Amino acid sequence: MSHRARETSGWSLAILVVVVFSLVPVVWIVMLSLKTSASATDGSFIPHHWTLSNYSDIFKLGTFTDALRNSIGIGLISTLLAVALACAAAYAIARLDFPGKAAILAVALAVAMFPQISLVGPLYNLWRQIGLYDTWPGLIIPYMTFALPLSIYVLSAFFREIPWELEQAAQVDGATPFQAFMKVIVPLATPGIVTTFILVFIICWNDFVFAISLTSTTAAQTVPAAISTFPGVSQFTVPYGDIAAAAVVVTVPVMLLVLLFQRRIVSGLTAGAVKG
Amino acid sequence: MTTGAVAAPPAAAAPPRRRRLTERAREERRLAALLVGPALIVMIAVTAYPIIDAVILSLQRSDLRFPAQSKFIGLANYGHVFSAPVFWQDVLHTVIITVISVSIQFVLGMCLALIMHRAIFARGLVRGVALIPYGIVAVVAAYSWELAWSLNSGWIPKLLGLSGDPLSHTFGTYVAIIVTEVWKNTPFMALLLLAGLALVPDELLEAAKVDGATAWQRFIRITVPLMKPAILVALLFRTLDAFRIFDTIYIFNQGAQGTESISMLNYATLLNRLNLGLGSAVSIVLFLFVALIAFVFIKGFGAGAAPGGEG
Amino acid sequence: MRRRRLAGFVIAAATTALIAGCGSSSKGPVTLNWYVFPEPSGSFAAAAANCSKASGGQYNIKLNFLSTSSDQQRVSLVRRLAANDSSIDILAMDVDWTAEFATAKWVHPVPAALSAQIRSQDLPGPIQTATYNGQLWGVPINSNTQLLWYRKDLVPNPPTTWGQMITDAIELARKGKPHYIEVQGAQYEGLTVWFNSLVNSAGGQILGPNNTVVIGPTSRAAALIMRLLANSPAADPSLNVTMEGQADTAFDMGNAAFELNYPFVWNSAQKTNPAVAKQMAYAPFPRVAPELAPRVSIGGYNLGISSHSKHPDLAFAAVQCLTQPANQTTYAVKGGLAPVAASIYSVPSFQKAYPFHSLIKQQLETYGLRPQTAAYADVTLAIQKALSPTSNIIPGSVVTTLRNEIKLSLSSGALL
Repeated sequence: MSHRARETSGWSLAILVVVVFSLVPVVWIVMLSLKTSASATDGSFIPHHWTLSNYSDIFKLGTFTDALRNSIGIGLISTLLAVALACAAAYAIARLDFPGKAAILAVALAVAMFPQISLVGPLYNLWRQIGLYDTWPGLIIPYMTFALPLSIYVLSAFFREIPWELEQAAQVDGATPFQAFMKVIVPLATPGIVTTFILVFIICWNDFVFAISLTSTTAAQTVPAAISTFPGVSQFTVPYGDIAAAAVVVTVPVMLLVLLFQRRIVSGLTAGAVKG
Repeated sequence: MTTGAVAAPPAAAAPPRRRRLTERAREERRLAALLVGPALIVMIAVTAYPIIDAVILSLQRSDLRFPAQSKFIGLANYGHVFSAPVFWQDVLHTVIITVISVSIQFVLGMCLALIMHRAIFARGLVRGVALIPYGIVAVVAAYSWELAWSLNSGWIPKLLGLSGDPLSHTFGTYVAIIVTEVWKNTPFMALLLLAGLALVPDELLEAAKVDGATAWQRFIRITVPLMKPAILVALLFRTLDAFRIFDTIYIFNQGAQGTESISMLNYATLLNRLNLGLGSAVSIVLFLFVALIAFVFIKGFGAGAAPGGEG
Repeated sequence: MRRRRLAGFVIAAATTALIAGCGSSSKGPVTLNWYVFPEPSGSFAAAAANCSKASGGQYNIKLNFLSTSSDQQRVSLVRRLAANDSSIDILAMDVDWTAEFATAKWVHPVPAALSAQIRSQDLPGPIQTATYNGQLWGVPINSNTQLLWYRKDLVPNPPTTWGQMITDAIELARKGKPHYIEVQGAQYEGLTVWFNSLVNSAGGQILGPNNTVVIGPTSRAAALIMRLLANSPAADPSLNVTMEGQADTAFDMGNAAFELNYPFVWNSAQKTNPAVAKQMAYAPFPRVAPELAPRVSIGGYNLGISSHSKHPDLAFAAVQCLTQPANQTTYAVKGGLAPVAASIYSVPSFQKAYPFHSLIKQQLETYGLRPQTAAYADVTLAIQKALSPTSNIIPGSVVTTLRNEIKLSLSSGALL
């Protein structure tokens, strides 16, 4: 075997391992979602009896469709708010001279490292007293907060890539820094903002700790929390099929985002780190 | 900026600016305060206020099941926490899971990063596929693995030829939980390391190759030292995240079979048993542990700042 | 969940209240939200509709199903009750929550007239589960008790004691026949149910009246039986993760000779595996001491009225209707829920659906009761942790550990 061929087969093997290891759990949950309830416990990877009934079941289940609505609504609002706040902050960090720049980055870093689970108790206690328990704002507030550090870091990394001369030219032409920002930076910044939006949405979409602690009904329960409380057919059975089908439904949009924007996501997540 | 902290705060990189008129500078500061203010206020308000509230609660008997018996009890709750065997057991469980899963994630993440960095073909495929575990909902990942390992529904016991249920004893459950954590988090580790790999100049590696260094020697002597800041950042964020492990354990068994983590204990005391005083004491202790880990990494090893983890 | 969220909501709510009216002089019926465990047969839904109709436009019961697991039902309810959520009117309380919900003032005490009616009509076990400090806090709707289910092709004469059952299982194992004893060994409420049944059957208690901790030698005896079973061939390899559903599945797959479980397994076996169902028989819960009748931890639910309900009187009227014997018969025949009213046990249609009715009635008369305390969530957790995994129980120290932890629980100081 030539050196070239050996190298090729080595890489092929490595890539194969990565692909298989990454995909098996996903394929498995899809397979499980396609099993009939009687064969859900047969332990085979590939269903003996195929069915789509689990999917029609969960969409008949009010809990799930409501949870889907909550997940999308809460996720989008939190993401919009976080990205909006972070855009402003990141612009200032990347572009303006002001004291306390180090302080805000330190705060963002501290929040990024903050153990969120330490907050669920006091937040529950506060929310239950002011009426935010089991409401959309009750989740949006912590989601937005914990999405901010990543947003600020990623966005300020993107913003520093923008050719400043253009903005300065605009300022020379008499535009205020704010006008310059709106007219010149925003269009250039859009790709970075979209990437940040996706990253933040994934964070909100995936959250479990806050969802399970601060909601309890279809009023605000998101999909991850709803799946973990799915009712079985009887008081004593595990609803394998429903869990699997709901898991697939909630995974598909994120998988699509990830695959469509993979290049952006990788650069977004690594940007802050590389361009020190 | 290829030397020094990999991810020094972007402030350090801000271009040196010409001296301007004081009025102009003042206007710039006002604008900066306006732009930065909201984000800063939100971050501080939503973390600092509740944590102070938790400190206050932790000094009281505050149990929603006994509303008539709330009272100030000083540090008694902390005494209960530190004298409870379950607390130290859970610290141990958390440390075991953190150390093992982060070590494996580091080794596999490095391999994955090298594959993504150096693959001579199908780079896009690898990157896309490897991102799937990162993007997938943590609860879904946990369910997929839990249902795969369970003797009742899964394919893994059959594949491994197990007669018993791996999730019915401690060892099997730890293996399953760690596999889940590794699967879910290795891609993120790899991405952080990939950022570091990009900092290693190809010419340096080529030169070493010409000098006759083996691939392993090049990796250990050149790549790793140059990547050290990135490695520390990756380890810091993954360690902090692993130390707060909650979702996977919650879905697997809510901490049965000796797998309960501190987060799980914190959650159950506060939100299942509504014992706010005692639970808040656990929250504060957990908070201090995390702060300590961060302090050790940043001051002890000199890990710099980096983008947040998965939140 | 429409509380002090925004002024707009408050105004909207006030307007709605004005239009709808709160009292009986209302134009439309008041909506009563009933939160209850999932009932798939539809008999709760039917009863809710019938009662609403019978109220003559006074109220309309809206059925809301909680999650399957009792722990999760409790968590979801108590968090909302502690948050003063007024959208819960009627809630199905698992029998072991009574003391907690009463102490925390989350539910109204049952009015005297309704209490008197329940006391005259229901079996003693279910009444006791709803009683705390001499007062009824819920209206029993269904009960539950575990029987011994066994394979008559493998075991001609059912064992009457735990010791004998384990011996029988070991003998079957020696012959290479299906021999497992399916019992709930996972670390959850079912483990407490098992332990408490053994303690009560041995003539003991864990907690006495007024929160006195009386755990003693009977608990040691109970722990010894659990440990013995877990380390014998009678134990299913999945014992440590077995809950009611897994026990049922294992029995239906033909792996087991014995099963301790609730009556739902009878119909489940007919559906899942008729071959096993044909060989399935039932017997009283095995004794611990040969001379003492078994006292099995009662299960089931009581309907309570939330303190935050805006219509407590109507809600009690609705509960009275939902729990009337005619409805209980439907729940039992269609839904497989054991009734609490004594009279139903002689109704022929019920007897036909529940061939083991006399065993159930007997066990609801001579019953076991899990500890009644506001700190029950702590007490049961202490028990679950001390006894899990069952194969590693240390009988020498388990009683002392539990005594200390339970005492600490009562002053909110037990980190478990």
